[in-house]
Amino acid sequence: MERRAFKQCVFSVQDEQAALDIVQDAMLKLAENYAARPAQELPLLFQRILQNGIRDHFRRGKVRSAWTTLWSSLGLTGEDDEADPLETFEVEDESSLPASPADRLEQSQVMAIIEEAVQSLPERQRQAFLLRYWEDFDVSETAKAMGCSEGSVKTHCSRAVHALAKILRSRGVTL
Amino acid sequence: MNEKDFSQKLRPWLDRSADGVGEIQATRLRAARLRALDQWREPVRLLGLVTVGEGTAQTLKYSILQQGLMWLPIVILLATLAAKALSPEVDVGELDAMLLTGELPIDAFLDKDFDQWLKSASGSF
Repeated sequence: MERRAFKQCVFSVQDEQAALDIVQDAMLKLAENYAARPAQELPLLFQRILQNGIRDHFRRGKVRSAWTTLWSSLGLTGEDDEADPLETFEVEDESSLPASPADRLEQSQVMAIIEEAVQSLPERQRQAFLLRYWEDFDVSETAKAMGCSEGSVKTHCSRAVHALAKILRSRGVTL
Repeated sequence: MNEKDFSQKLRPWLDRSADGVGEIQATRLRAARLRALDQWREPVRLLGLVTVGEGTAQTLKYSILQQGLMWLPIVILLATLAAKALSPEVDVGELDAMLLTGELPIDAFLDKDFDQWLKSASGSF
């Protein structure tokens, strides 16, 4: 569950650290505030908290970028020289990889294209598509999580699917 | 291919993408999940009256009975004070002091048996 949420955030915010923070916050908020709710309501509540977290991230980003522009114009940019290389070092789980190196390469290329395609979708389309077809929410649940009408969800989903199909076809990917 | 079929075919790829999350991120996510589970408090209803651990989202839903219970100790205190103020004053401490320091009641001297007992008792000391 948390991995899917993390990927959703990464698709949106395109920053793994920020995505981790958003997912952690969402899980804590769910646990602290909604423990009394019935279990079947929790996925929807979690998604609402998560989507709010993503929105807040973008809001904060706007404020931050305004300040960054101001500081950089004054020549006061802060650089992080103490980044730990181990933080970015990742170990691949070989159990889920295809047998031959050629297959492995092909799969990773297709995966990269798909991730790129999903990432390139407009925010609302991606959100609707992932909630509806990855999280298995129905139209009404997706609408509640996104805070929009069911009609909008259908429109966003349809556009997202067409856009993805177009991108994948143009890149020579057949599913 | 319709919308649903296309999504069904894309889904395993997305699942694989989530499974391929880096080890460090996966570990941090697991830790965050455990931390969240530590915070998870099932609400407990004490004697069917007071609810504990429903979280901040539920504070507005407190029943009238639960709100009433908050005022109960103050109501009891006020009722006790009022009852004491209205009752006739019988100060037991003051009576004790009068018996210890004051003269014997006049009835004691009018009682012949008491006088006799006093003489015999004083002879025995």
